[in-house]
Amino acid sequence: MNYTELNMELTDEQIALKENVHKFAVRVLRPAAIELDKLAPEDVIKKDSIYWDVMKKIYENGYHTILIPDEYGGLGLDPLSIHIVFEELSYGSVGFAVSAGVACFSAFFASMVPDDDLIERFILPFVKCNDASILSCWAITEPDHGSDKLMPSSPFFHDPKITQGIKAVRKRNEWLINGQTSAWVSNGTIANEAALFVGIDPSMGMAGGGICLMDLDQPGVTRGKPLDKMGQRELPQGEIFFDNAVVPDEHMIVDQESYEMMTDTTLAIANACMGSFFTGVARSAYDIAVGYARERIQGGKRLIDHPTVKVKLFDMFKKIELARSYSRSAIVYNMSNVPPKTEYSIASKIFCTQTAYETASDALQIMGGYGLSKEYPIEKIFRDARAGLIEDGSNDSLALSAAYLLYSENE
Amino acid sequence: MAVFSDTEKMYEVLGELFELLLNDPAAGKKFKESNLVIKFIINDPDGMLWVDTNEMKVICGSAELKPTIEMTLSGDSCHRFWLQQLKLPVALAKGKIKAKGPMPKILKLLPLLKPAYEAYPGIAEKHNIPVN
Repeated sequence: MNYTELNMELTDEQIALKENVHKFAVRVLRPAAIELDKLAPEDVIKKDSIYWDVMKKIYENGYHTILIPDEYGGLGLDPLSIHIVFEELSYGSVGFAVSAGVACFSAFFASMVPDDDLIERFILPFVKCNDASILSCWAITEPDHGSDKLMPSSPFFHDPKITQGIKAVRKRNEWLINGQTSAWVSNGTIANEAALFVGIDPSMGMAGGGICLMDLDQPGVTRGKPLDKMGQRELPQGEIFFDNAVVPDEHMIVDQESYEMMTDTTLAIANACMGSFFTGVARSAYDIAVGYARERIQGGKRLIDHPTVKVKLFDMFKKIELARSYSRSAIVYNMSNVPPKTEYSIASKIFCTQTAYETASDALQIMGGYGLSKEYPIEKIFRDARAGLIEDGSNDSLALSAAYLLYSENE
Repeated sequence: MAVFSDTEKMYEVLGELFELLLNDPAAGKKFKESNLVIKFIINDPDGMLWVDTNEMKVICGSAELKPTIEMTLSGDSCHRFWLQQLKLPVALAKGKIKAKGPMPKILKLLPLLKPAYEAYPGIAEKHNIPVN
């Protein structure tokens, strides 16, 4: 490990976990992500793609179950350990970290309302799965609604003129789902389950929504073309279309009575995880830059011996340490308190993604022309980091959402 | 008017419920393995209730223990929760229950509560607490 662990209270288990996941990220995730980056999106998800080999290894190690309580056979890690795992996975590949992170969404939501049926249907098969054949996704954004579906604190969330495009209508003992997600649903093209956010009561605006756990292998569900994008190309994303798709009554786990709060809680957890992901991305860029600066000779001496390069590297180091320290605090607090303080998770997401982007950009700058070339992974990490400013809520919209939380008009 | 007429009444009912839970053959074993100390801070009527799974005992009133999980709720919310009239997401959404403690441990607790859901209506009726 290449940084000093400032938390002197990490347990032996947490230290071992960090070292093991780090090795896995460096040896398995990063090389695979670089290979997948070169492929067309439809080739990334082909049956013989290394994407599946890597996901199987993630499942074999149990990393897909870190959010699932050990009562069901998951790893059930404490919040700090969750941060450690996500930071290290993202050090190798943030795309794989996100793919593994959302793979558990159906099981994770089921564990919040653990009826016997939900345990049998969504949790137990998932924790037992060791070949990545059960994958979920977080199906929330739509073509006309992105970050605005993640703004439960804002007044717009209750405006009846702004409602979900994906509609759920109850018929006898089941719900019929119609509409489509955006192309930005992570695992959208490959998932066989979804935690789907739908509209139920348009008179309540976005707040009149529901969350259902859905079997995607059914008539009435089709997929769009895998998304061709700038960064995180190892992460499969794409649209999901619903044409009278069916959700049993008992799988609508949240209705309009608690939708706003559950969306807020989901955002608090997801954004806190984003903080840990992008701390890892920033660190990977920094390490590459330091390694390069130690070897590259310019002006008769190593790059790292030039004062301006030293200062730039220190500036990167400083921001990464702050990102880790703050994002750990945010995830520990918000995974230990219900209701959460979502503004702290949002601050973590914004700060850490911005840090990753700036650090990757600075690393690329230090490497000069080589930084632009495919010979080094920094240009990929730069593209991956750029996506983070928009992913999981654009930073601009999230900032507005946090500001509404902090400075309510009803205060 | 609050469902529990006073703190003593609440301790009688909830104390019996948690004793039953700890002594349940299946759930009790899992509680024992969980190493959880759960603190309930209840208002209206005011009271405090502890479930210490290390010692496998229920304590009504204050105690010198460090809780793993802390739940804050009213006596009425408690009653409705055990009758399954108040679902956890709704209770959290409306601020009727506040929880403090690592989320994986809170989630781990939920499936262990099943015997208490089944037993509570009978216990409440025994103590003349209305269940409808």
